Amino acid sequence: MDHTDDHQPGPLLVAEQVRKVYRTGGVEVEALSGLDLAVRRGELVAVMGPSGSGKTTLLNCLSGLDDVDGGRVLVEGRDLFAMSDARRTSHRARTMGFIFQSFNLIPVFTAAENVELPLLLNGVPAKPARATAVRMLERVGLGHRVAHRPGELSGGEQQRVTIARALAARPAIVWADEPTGNLDTQMADQVIGLLHELNRQEGQTIVLVTHDPGVGGSAGRLVRMRDGRLVGDEQRRPARIGV
Amino acid sequence: MYSNLTPVLVGLLAAAVLATAAIALRGPVVRRLALRQISRRRVEAALVVTGSVLGTAIIVGSLIVGDTLDFSVRQTAYQRLGVIDEVVSSSTPAQGQQAAERLAGLRADPDVDGILTVRQTAAAVAKGDGPGRKGEPRAGVLEVDFAAAAAFGGSGSGLTGPQPGPGQVVINDQLAGALDARAGDTLTFYLYGRSTTARVARVVPTQGLAGYGGSGAFFAPGTLLAAAQEAGGRARPETLTLVSNAGGVEGGNAASDRVAAKLRAALGPLTSQGTEVDKPKQEVLEEARQAGDELGSLFLFIGSFAIIAGVLLLVNVFVMLAEERKPELGMLRAVGMRRGRLVRGFVVEGAVYALVAASLGVLAGLGVGRVVVEVAARIFASFGEDDGGLDLVFSVTPTSLVNGFAMGFLIAFATVALTSIRISRVNIIAAIRDLPGEGGRRLKRRWVVASTLAAAGFGAAAWVAVARSQGVGSYLYPALATLALCPLLVRLLPRRAVYTATSLAVLGWGLGANTVRPRVFDDGSTTTFIVLGVVLTFSAVLLVSQNQELLLRLFRPLVRRPTASGLAARLAMAYPLARRFRTGAILIMYGLVVFTLVLITVLGSVIDAGVDRAVANAAGGYAIRVDYNPAAPLTDPAGRLVGGRFAGRVQGVAPLSAAEGRVTGLPGLPKPIDSTVVGATPALAEQGLFPLDERLDRLGRDDRAVWRAVLADPRYVILDQYLGQTGAGPGAVTYRAGDALTLTDPRTGKAERKVIAGILADDTAFDGIGEHSFGSALITSARGLREQFGGGAEASAALLRLAPGASDQALAADLQGEFLANSLVATRIRHLVELDYAANRSFFRLLQGFLALGLVIGIAGLGVVMVRAVRERRRSVGVLRALGFPASTVRRAFLLESSFIALEGILLGAGLAIVTSYLLFKNDDELQAAGSAFPVPWLSIAVLVAVTAVASLAATAWPARQAAKIRPAVALRIAD
Repeated sequence: MDHTDDHQPGPLLVAEQVRKVYRTGGVEVEALSGLDLAVRRGELVAVMGPSGSGKTTLLNCLSGLDDVDGGRVLVEGRDLFAMSDARRTSHRARTMGFIFQSFNLIPVFTAAENVELPLLLNGVPAKPARATAVRMLERVGLGHRVAHRPGELSGGEQQRVTIARALAARPAIVWADEPTGNLDTQMADQVIGLLHELNRQEGQTIVLVTHDPGVGGSAGRLVRMRDGRLVGDEQRRPARIGV
Repeated sequence: MYSNLTPVLVGLLAAAVLATAAIALRGPVVRRLALRQISRRRVEAALVVTGSVLGTAIIVGSLIVGDTLDFSVRQTAYQRLGVIDEVVSSSTPAQGQQAAERLAGLRADPDVDGILTVRQTAAAVAKGDGPGRKGEPRAGVLEVDFAAAAAFGGSGSGLTGPQPGPGQVVINDQLAGALDARAGDTLTFYLYGRSTTARVARVVPTQGLAGYGGSGAFFAPGTLLAAAQEAGGRARPETLTLVSNAGGVEGGNAASDRVAAKLRAALGPLTSQGTEVDKPKQEVLEEARQAGDELGSLFLFIGSFAIIAGVLLLVNVFVMLAEERKPELGMLRAVGMRRGRLVRGFVVEGAVYALVAASLGVLAGLGVGRVVVEVAARIFASFGEDDGGLDLVFSVTPTSLVNGFAMGFLIAFATVALTSIRISRVNIIAAIRDLPGEGGRRLKRRWVVASTLAAAGFGAAAWVAVARSQGVGSYLYPALATLALCPLLVRLLPRRAVYTATSLAVLGWGLGANTVRPRVFDDGSTTTFIVLGVVLTFSAVLLVSQNQELLLRLFRPLVRRPTASGLAARLAMAYPLARRFRTGAILIMYGLVVFTLVLITVLGSVIDAGVDRAVANAAGGYAIRVDYNPAAPLTDPAGRLVGGRFAGRVQGVAPLSAAEGRVTGLPGLPKPIDSTVVGATPALAEQGLFPLDERLDRLGRDDRAVWRAVLADPRYVILDQYLGQTGAGPGAVTYRAGDALTLTDPRTGKAERKVIAGILADDTAFDGIGEHSFGSALITSARGLREQFGGGAEASAALLRLAPGASDQALAADLQGEFLANSLVATRIRHLVELDYAANRSFFRLLQGFLALGLVIGIAGLGVVMVRAVRERRRSVGVLRALGFPASTVRRAFLLESSFIALEGILLGAGLAIVTSYLLFKNDDELQAAGSAFPVPWLSIAVLVAVTAVASLAATAWPARQAAKIRPAVALRIAD
């Protein structure tokens, strides 16, 4: 499922009037208030904002991990919330990859097994899936850690496995939620450099949520949020960061 | 039950509760921590409590079964004997009269509140004529002074009212029921070979005097003596002096030993002339206590597997609980809380769970006991068709409830306390960061030394135990020695290799010990089986756990498929592999219970398959045994039973006579043993052949030759294998062919030395011959019996060999009708054996049902573990869902995982049970000699496996559904 080489006209992702309300004990909190956003192919978009501004909620809703209370989200022209959960899940498997702050690798699987999961989900046979997984791990500098389980890897290594997993099935878009939040500065630079490299060399579309101004500043486009609304959207020249 | 254990158990309970209370009172932080954990995690608390409730329930249920049997036998004894505590019996009416006169002086004794002399005999009774005639071939008949009887032992003698006049009789409701008789009916009594009629004056309840010794009819004094004199024979009624102790029906027994001593003193020289003092109530009550204890122990033994499963569930749940709390524990350690305080906190928490669980377990145990008693009551009713039966009455003693509560609490408490010590050993940083356990940490040197020394100690103990073929020690010590050697070995060799080799060695020894030491089960101890089951299951699970990867290679094609099923299978197998302790504990729970269930099923079918062999052993070629009244003996039985209307149906007759004897001098049996000495003519060995388990080879090359020698030479005897035994299995037989014994006539004191020529394979055909149902049979020649016992030897039975095609049922009915005057009772030997087998089968089913409670624990345990697993893996499930795993695949993964574990445990247990039972079968000389094939009840095993697997699947359906419902965004807890 290679989506990165597609050059279809129009944006890859369109969010229109997206609204999300959390209800806790009779209290309603509007996390996203009629938000609009479009992401083109090959963009590296950083979403920044203070705590509680709705960054992660935005990521969850745009990726279809969470339901919305209003509006619509189109990925590759298909409305996520017009689909059943099963179809949306299948669509997610084909078009999206995820990188989480706390890595979220499956602890009982080795690095290679974690990375090949999205490939197997997309019906790639076991042998080519394993070969691709190993190649992806080598690509992120972990060719020597293929058979290690997450518990045997450092934080930075785990995050690189997560990146390999997110990219293994060549998704249309990669969502990264505070990918450097649990890493030291040096490791964080390596991870961000890797994402930039993938974006630059392979045209991988990436949307990342971050607190870190350095990380945000390095992205080609910076979206700012406050109180569930977009308050800024700047196109920038990306910093030259690489591994 | 087990009132002797109550002080110890209550003492330990009190110590545990007081220690916990002291910890809670002295440590407010510990107390607060423990109690708040309980209230904060109510679901987890409920799971822990559930884990140990069933254990207590099984213990209490087992004790209640014992209580019920004890109570029921006691009630029967009280009802049948009433106020009678001692019985003085004399061999002749004259001696009986002398005894009565000598005992009259004890009437004023404060320990005695009644002395009554009666005469007793057995007679056939019939009502009516022709086709509608009803008969009772063997009724007890008593002549008694009704006025004296009414005053005997206070108000509860059971025989009151006016004395029946001449030609009148009082009967009890048991006899009335058998004859369909009521007051005013005329009955025919066959006394000493002559018939006499009597009108029923009234019917009285069968209790006390009116139920004594199976008596059913009561005449005025002088009736029996006159009938005997009229008959002109040498037979006379037996004279008995019945004694009632002060204290009523139940309390009188307390003085029984004292009163018996006074009676013997008063009888003086008569005791050496054949007058005997018996304490029937004390004997029955002691038997009741023993039977109750034995049955309760049997259920406790069967239940112990379920209890072990419950303990493992508790360990598993507690370890999971601790894993979830790991960051908290790490923080507590980081801020300075000592490990001891953590343990104390867990102990307080665990004590609360244990108290609640033990209380609920007692209530659940009452229900379990009730159900078991209901089923057992039906089985006992079928046991008793021929001997009056036993009505089981549900009964619970406070002792059992206290013991059950204390045992349940202490098991749960100890489990939690020991588990707490293990889980308190956290690495602070790893715990705070919730990193996976270090696993495989090297043991400190001093522990390695201690464990190696322990291995040497266990090794020495194993050497001794194996050399002596001790059951428990032969299995336990070698296993412990090997296990204790592991810490040293893992320093020298790879861990996996050590544990694989260790488990293989223990498993191999567990399976092969019986072959190397064939007498290892001879002590008949049920503990040996418990230890064997535990050793086999633990070692097999250790072996499997260490080599799961190898096993899972079989499933590689399934796992490698890039489909939803393939991914589900991959996940399903990855978790059990990664959580070896948890998986191992569940495997043991399943393996242990299924092992026992399948073992019982297979052994049951082995026993069932042997019914024809058992009939052949029991019958020895004869189909029917007839017993007749020695007071009205069947003259010329060989002629009368083969000829006349029985011609063509009966092919051969072997007449038997019997006497009461006393055996001394047998190896391993220091006390004198009462025995029924059976005298047989050479016809016994010509018309049929009773197989021998052992024989004295110098008397002949085969069983028949030995029988011929015994029936021709009074110096030899044949014994059965239960002589002098009190409950243990055949393995406890201490005598062998060739040993000598002394046989004494208790009436005359005449003693003779005899040599054991053989040991009977089955004594059913000789059991309870004539009036002598009090002891195991000792068979000798008819001539020898007559020479030693003289008048004490009575012709009382015969074995019949039938013509081919003759119906034993029809013949038995015809014989009883024809020889009613002789009180002839015809017993079909095959029917007797089959009844035993049917009752055994039902009993096996009851045991299986009881053991199935263990499976409930196993299945509940799997459900509990899966519920916890769903919680524990929320985040992983969230990730999988985010990556595109459909909800159905997540659900399937959980279901597959539980099925995989359950099936592995079930197959492990079933496989071990089949191999073990096969080895037991192969090592059983008798079964091998019979040449029967090893029967495996595949259908029953398949049903058991299927039902368990489906139940396990059902138990995890809900957690699997919950897992599938996890919303990825929520599970990942991605929050700003």
